[in-house]
Amino acid sequence: MPTSVSEHGRNFVTSLCNFTCSTCRATGHIPPGKPSLTSCRSPEKETFTCWWKPSYTGGLPTTYHLYYRLENSEIVRECPDYHTAGQNSCFFNKNETTIWRTYNITVVATNRLGSNYSDPVDIDVVYIVQPHTPENVTVLVMKEDDPVPYLRVSWEKPRNADTRSGWITLIYQLRIRMKNQDEWEEHDAGQQKVFNVFTPHSGGTYMVQVRCRPDHGLWSEWSPPTYVEVPDYLPRERSVWIVIAIFSVIVFIILIWTLNLKRSSLKNFLLPPVPGPKIKGFDKNILKSGKSEDMFNALVIPGFPPSSDYEDLLVEYLEVYDQEDQELMLDGKDLQEGCLKLKGPSDNDSGRGSCDSHTLLMDKCGPAKEEPSPESAQQEAETKAARDLICTPEPADGQTNAWPMVLSPGQEYHHHDTPLKRAPDVFVSTPTSPQLGCTSPVDSKHHKVPNVNSVEGKGGAGGTSARTMEYVEVQKVNQQNVLLLRPLVEQSTYCTTSTFVEMPGKDYSKVKGVTSDNVLLLQQEASTPCLSDCHHGKDQEEQDTTIQLGRPVFHGTPAGVHADMQLTSNGYVDTVPMMATY
Amino acid sequence: MSLSWLSILFWDTLTPSPCSSVVVLWCVTVSSEALNLSDLLERVSMASDKLHSLSTSLTSDVGSQLPPIFKIMRPSQCHTSSLQTPTDKEQALNVPEEELLSLARSLLLSWSDPLAVLLAEAHNLVHPDKSAILSKTKDLHLHSSSLGAGLEHLIHKMGAQSQGIISLPYNGDVGTDKNASLSNFYFLLTCFRRDSHKIDSFLKVLRCRASKRPEMC
Repeated sequence: MPTSVSEHGRNFVTSLCNFTCSTCRATGHIPPGKPSLTSCRSPEKETFTCWWKPSYTGGLPTTYHLYYRLENSEIVRECPDYHTAGQNSCFFNKNETTIWRTYNITVVATNRLGSNYSDPVDIDVVYIVQPHTPENVTVLVMKEDDPVPYLRVSWEKPRNADTRSGWITLIYQLRIRMKNQDEWEEHDAGQQKVFNVFTPHSGGTYMVQVRCRPDHGLWSEWSPPTYVEVPDYLPRERSVWIVIAIFSVIVFIILIWTLNLKRSSLKNFLLPPVPGPKIKGFDKNILKSGKSEDMFNALVIPGFPPSSDYEDLLVEYLEVYDQEDQELMLDGKDLQEGCLKLKGPSDNDSGRGSCDSHTLLMDKCGPAKEEPSPESAQQEAETKAARDLICTPEPADGQTNAWPMVLSPGQEYHHHDTPLKRAPDVFVSTPTSPQLGCTSPVDSKHHKVPNVNSVEGKGGAGGTSARTMEYVEVQKVNQQNVLLLRPLVEQSTYCTTSTFVEMPGKDYSKVKGVTSDNVLLLQQEASTPCLSDCHHGKDQEEQDTTIQLGRPVFHGTPAGVHADMQLTSNGYVDTVPMMATY
Repeated sequence: MSLSWLSILFWDTLTPSPCSSVVVLWCVTVSSEALNLSDLLERVSMASDKLHSLSTSLTSDVGSQLPPIFKIMRPSQCHTSSLQTPTDKEQALNVPEEELLSLARSLLLSWSDPLAVLLAEAHNLVHPDKSAILSKTKDLHLHSSSLGAGLEHLIHKMGAQSQGIISLPYNGDVGTDKNASLSNFYFLLTCFRRDSHKIDSFLKVLRCRASKRPEMC
């Protein structure tokens, strides 16, 4: 039972102590609680202040003391100034402050019953620099030439900060927002004390704050906000758009006015009028009146086509035919006159070589004879040769390959009594080259064609017959006044189905020039081969065939053809171009 | 001015070698006409500012995860503590420029060897942030060298007789104890942090003295 007594005793003492202690706390009779240093700060790296937080006081009056000790020194000093910095603070002035030396600081709370030490703190002044806030923050609305203003924020360094000597280097920062916004817009200003804020909202109210810090220290507090009101202005973008709009409206008005002035010419440009028919002599009014006969009659030009000399323009060709029972229609008298007359009844297909034509030497419908010995055989041979020469293919389209000619209506396209300027015997010389393209070979020998039965003007306008006439070329006139004919070998188109409309160029003579008498000087083309005897040089000029408008091709005296006169392969002159110039 | 920028770039890229100062001197001789003292001081100040920022960051990285048992050594035990430097503003502003510059150069020179030791120790450090600390230590070493070259350039430009600079020896004897090495590592960093701050402050005072921009100084 002694343990229970000791236990009892112990319990009693403990409870008594507890009671006493709580009573003491309640009544303040215990030593103070442990204070703690909250912070030490130096605003300019020359002085510093430390603050502590006291603990419970215990009800008794408690004093606080701050003691410090510098490094490398055992001397404990007390805080020189408890009041400057307020309560529970210790202020170290310039004389008390050394930098780059560690302070070991302790705060002691003391009351009647005891004291309590805080935890020591080691500080170096250079690491606890926190400057004051910048001062005199002003914001101005700058209006220069631009209608858009900007804000200029300016401030001064915090007091006591010695930036002049470089002892402390401050870096500034500002923040700005509109009054009704929540988020700040922060800007770094470096070491400068001026900052521009561009393009503020028109008519808004802004608030600005500035703070600073040393290069290796802590940020200061924000300065109290500074308010500024931005006046109303027109934004540059809007004014630019307004100017552009006005300018474009003016340009548009000018454009419309110009278009209006030039209405008609613009209409002509965009919708050019359809040209009406420009036929000479064509009168629209007659058309409108509805009398077609009158209209077409009006188209008739009195002087067209040329009447009497017209036939002379026609290319005359020789129609050679051979029939035993048919006399050649060559009239000697006419020969002496140097004319060839067309004799014999005309046929509808003059010169086209239908089987029914009695004037046609060539008889395609008959068999070919090739014995050259007798006269008839010779004739037949000539016939055959001529036939071969004059052989024409069947035009595919039934149109003639004849020379296109413009005829006056009502005038027969074949003329029977056209006087010819010469009437030699016609020799048909066979071509040596097979260029003719005809199937049957032709011997190169001269065949005498004793008579020329008809020379007809060639009609081609109607195009009725399927046969066409070949051109033969008067190659030579021998001494017996016999024409030596030679078909145009270059004209391979004879045996083709092509029309005669477009003759190869080298079949024609080139017009060298026009004399004053309206005489065409034709040029011999030296490039073309000369299949017959050709006189070159000087004689060529004499042999240049001349043609007069409306005159036949032959030149020379009407009495006859000179023996030495020769026609080269290009002696044939096409008169169609002459016609075209009509 | 651009040529002085080039020379500053040289400082940043050069590894510490005897050739670096030669190259710098060559640059100086080549471009001496274009150099401006205030611009040179400006750039030197910027270099020292960077160095101190790096040092502060490294020290906090190492010390933040270190138990207080490792932080027992006092800064008075730094090997450069014997070098007398101004302890407040009046003293500092009364020091002539050459002496200020000489102090800065002495401090920096005294730290060339210890920084090499730091770099060597950083490889074997036992610390959670070892890789970051290693890279920062390398940067620290590099920037210190470049600042040294810049100060040499500055001395040449100022034409001042180079006052005797003191290279305080460092005889760090760390030992093989890991804890001891870590503690020593941290201690060295704290010492360097203070000294780099001194250098920066001196140079900035010099900058404002030679500056032609009153609004900044």
